[in-house]
Amino acid sequence: MQDNSTYKISSEVSSKINKWLLKFPDGKKKPAIIYALHLIQKENKYIKSIHVDALANFLNLKNIDVYEIAAFYSMFELEKIGKHTISVCTNVSCMLNGSDEILSYLESKLKIKVGRSSDKYFLKDERECLAACCGAPMMQVDHKYYENLTKEKIDKIITEIENE
Amino acid sequence: MNNNIRVNELCYSTLSSKNPNSFDTYVSLGGYSTWKNIVTTSYDRKEIIETILKSGLRGRGGAGFPTGRKWSFINQDSEDIKYLVCNADESEPGTCKDRDILRYNPHALIEGMLIASYAIGANTAYCYLRGEFMDDVYSSFKKALADAYENKLIGNNILKTNINIELHDLIGAGAYIVGEETAMLESIEGKKGFPRFKPPFPAVKGLFGSPTIINNVETLASVPKIMENGPEWFKSAGTKDSPGFKCFSVSGHVNKPGNYEIPLGTPFKKLLELAGGMKDGKKIKAVIPGGSSVPVVPGKVMLETNMDYESITQAGSLLGSGAVIIMDEDTNMVEVIHRIARFYYSESCGQCTPCREGTGWMFKIIDKILNGKANLEDIKTLESIPSMISGSTICALGDAAAMPVESFIKHYKNEFLRYINHENQNKEKIFSSNNNNEFVLQKK
Repeated sequence: MQDNSTYKISSEVSSKINKWLLKFPDGKKKPAIIYALHLIQKENKYIKSIHVDALANFLNLKNIDVYEIAAFYSMFELEKIGKHTISVCTNVSCMLNGSDEILSYLESKLKIKVGRSSDKYFLKDERECLAACCGAPMMQVDHKYYENLTKEKIDKIITEIENE
Repeated sequence: MNNNIRVNELCYSTLSSKNPNSFDTYVSLGGYSTWKNIVTTSYDRKEIIETILKSGLRGRGGAGFPTGRKWSFINQDSEDIKYLVCNADESEPGTCKDRDILRYNPHALIEGMLIASYAIGANTAYCYLRGEFMDDVYSSFKKALADAYENKLIGNNILKTNINIELHDLIGAGAYIVGEETAMLESIEGKKGFPRFKPPFPAVKGLFGSPTIINNVETLASVPKIMENGPEWFKSAGTKDSPGFKCFSVSGHVNKPGNYEIPLGTPFKKLLELAGGMKDGKKIKAVIPGGSSVPVVPGKVMLETNMDYESITQAGSLLGSGAVIIMDEDTNMVEVIHRIARFYYSESCGQCTPCREGTGWMFKIIDKILNGKANLEDIKTLESIPSMISGSTICALGDAAAMPVESFIKHYKNEFLRYINHENQNKEKIFSSNNNNEFVLQKK
């Protein structure tokens, strides 16, 4: 991923990171990586190599220390994605309650395949159980829970996003 | 509703209140009185551990290890810095009980964490929530934490007693493996979630190299009431070996899926009744009684089983996290195990070869079976893999991936064979050797 642009961690983000670091023993910097990457991703939608470099520099760590965290944890997106992330849970309890149909419905409604993104929506290929099994089938839209889904409910949720 | 079962008396005791997660609600129900009493009377630490030991409370995250014993592993006399970690990385498929504690009774967890920290001599405690909880679940917990700080129940000089305990919230970023306790320590330290070799156990060398105790949300949230009401109260529910209450997340083909906190040892039949019975009047086919990592149990066996550690072990499975996934007669078991195998394949951290490779093999073969492209050899290969993973890995994820596959083939082999499109002379022999299967093979 070649990118000649530069990135500087904003003062708002850096002060949040510095505050977060107070939770850990003096001098420990790595424990802030996950939190900092969440902040940077929130600001930029996905993590680019310039973000990794800037964060490593800020925390005085090696680039690989930050990169391996960005690559290991599934919530960090390393490719360009759309504005809203939709994760349909397709694990056992949701599957038993029709999550595959819910996912196909979203695929056709948003005209994107699971794992792909349009400018507006990213339909994440979620493999984990999202811990709302008693409200199956469920999904998260930008990490907000929507449970007991039906096609009608999805229509309503998408209309709300469209009208934002 | 069945009236003779005690429901939601412990971790879900605030659920019937108007604002279940508020500080005022918790206090009005007697909350924090135990903690206040402990700090103001300089309560004997050993006595707390003794009380929890006597209560018989077992870890509610899945392994069921006696909590008091775990706490007793900390060397009280050592001057080392000690840590308490609350595992709120709830991600065992089928499990959503901790999410409701974090959302609706966060103060019980906070008080439990404070008591546990005090008991083991930790001045710092972390609550690690899974990343996907970052919206409402995390907010609810953070709000509760701020309220407890504001009321001087946490922090420096708690209630002017010179006792200092800091309690920090942490957030993950999506990785099932981080629920494994040593992987969680790695993650808190800002590394990939690779489980550590044991020994040394965390109680000796844990977070940042210091003695650490890691407990599940439900375990810690159970502590205040046990301290308040005494171990005998706790033991008044449950069985001799599985005392107390347990939260069960009932999901799948039932009318009223939900979290039900009931005495251990309650017959499965009663739990199914609480959950509104089978959906659409269908018959029960199978149950995964403790999250997707445990062996599947045929429905007719479950209907005769009680919900406690020992009874479920006797039925051939494990109580695990208490996630009860119920499947009706129309469920395609190959599809279910395909989904489960896909999950472990995605979530294996890749550190140990048997798990990294084995989860991939199992998923790929099941995928081949489901797509009608497998032959009998493939099923034999699939059957041989679990035993090559189990016991050969650093952490339990390998076993967790192997056990379900083994059990699905054991109980539902005919369903796998139905997908074999190759003609085989031994087919009849294999079918007839498998008698414990209710599935009827349709002859084409």
